[in-house]
Amino acid sequence: MSETADVLVSVTMVRPEERLLLEALRATGLTAQTALPRHTAAVLNNAAPRPRMVLLRNVSHRELASMAARFEHADVETLNTPHAVRLCLAKDLQAIAFANHDVPHPTTHIAFTVEQVRAYVDALGGDAVVKPISGSWGRGIVRLADEAQFDAWVGGREALDPAGKEFPVVVQEYVPKPGYNERVHVVGDRPIVAYRQVGSGLRTNTHQGGAVEPIPISDRARDLCARVVACFGPGFYGVDLAESKETGEMYVLEVNTNPDFAQSSKIHGVDIAGHVAAYVRDAVFARAEVAA
Amino acid sequence: MSNLTTASVVCLECDTEVAVSTGAELGDILACRGCGQEHEVVEVAPTIRLDRAPEIEEDWGE
Repeated sequence: MSETADVLVSVTMVRPEERLLLEALRATGLTAQTALPRHTAAVLNNAAPRPRMVLLRNVSHRELASMAARFEHADVETLNTPHAVRLCLAKDLQAIAFANHDVPHPTTHIAFTVEQVRAYVDALGGDAVVKPISGSWGRGIVRLADEAQFDAWVGGREALDPAGKEFPVVVQEYVPKPGYNERVHVVGDRPIVAYRQVGSGLRTNTHQGGAVEPIPISDRARDLCARVVACFGPGFYGVDLAESKETGEMYVLEVNTNPDFAQSSKIHGVDIAGHVAAYVRDAVFARAEVAA
Repeated sequence: MSNLTTASVVCLECDTEVAVSTGAELGDILACRGCGQEHEVVEVAPTIRLDRAPEIEEDWGE
């Protein structure tokens, strides 16, 4: 890397989202370029000027976590912050943070053994959802509503993970959803678009084929997003909300640090990349003014 | 992307020429039209260099 751009977009690979972000960043007048981990060596080794900001968009969570930590210790500003990335990548940490910041979240327990999973499922009325700590796109999420399902989950787990290396997991209260999740994209401290991710079953992610239905940003969604920002700090998030069709209560299910948006943007029409680029530009210039 | 391409990059599997735009970004994914092998652009200067593209792993996601 001969010159360091104003903004590095840290990637595992370039997807349509990263291409949109690059174009939007360049349209603000900033220079921007992508960087695989190998291309950050000069910056991290103090052999090249630091970028003014790094946009963390690594789709590999292991890579994302390690790059966030490296930039943190190299004192390079990132979006999202390393603190937010850590919370977003671990459902157990998210649950703890939500509980400590009054963010409405389905009752969630961290379980380190099969026996603990059984105890927490029982404590939740015998109907709960088990999730890997670090899963995404709905991977590995299973609802355990009776003894046969529990036994099947235990059997599958023993076959694939006999040493129990994939523990802990989270055991979460099952929320009977009305056939959709609500996804709200937050940029900085503001929700900029909301839509329903419609699908049957537990998984409504657009990545899993969930349909997108744009909706207005409700006052309730604004309040929940404000609580998330108070806990995570300003950033670029995909906040997943779920409403119980039985009680009407709305929860923050999870916060995503590296949200997909290319496909959904074609439907709701909001220029998410443009909002992110404007936020980055303002943050970079504000810091430059303070430094001057 | 520009229509200009380099001519010296070939597929790592079948040696078919892989068209790379001059506007290629680090991390771009390019499929070989001969065998379908996906490549990732890992260098753009001074010359284009490709590696095999990373395959989706269990920790990929949002």
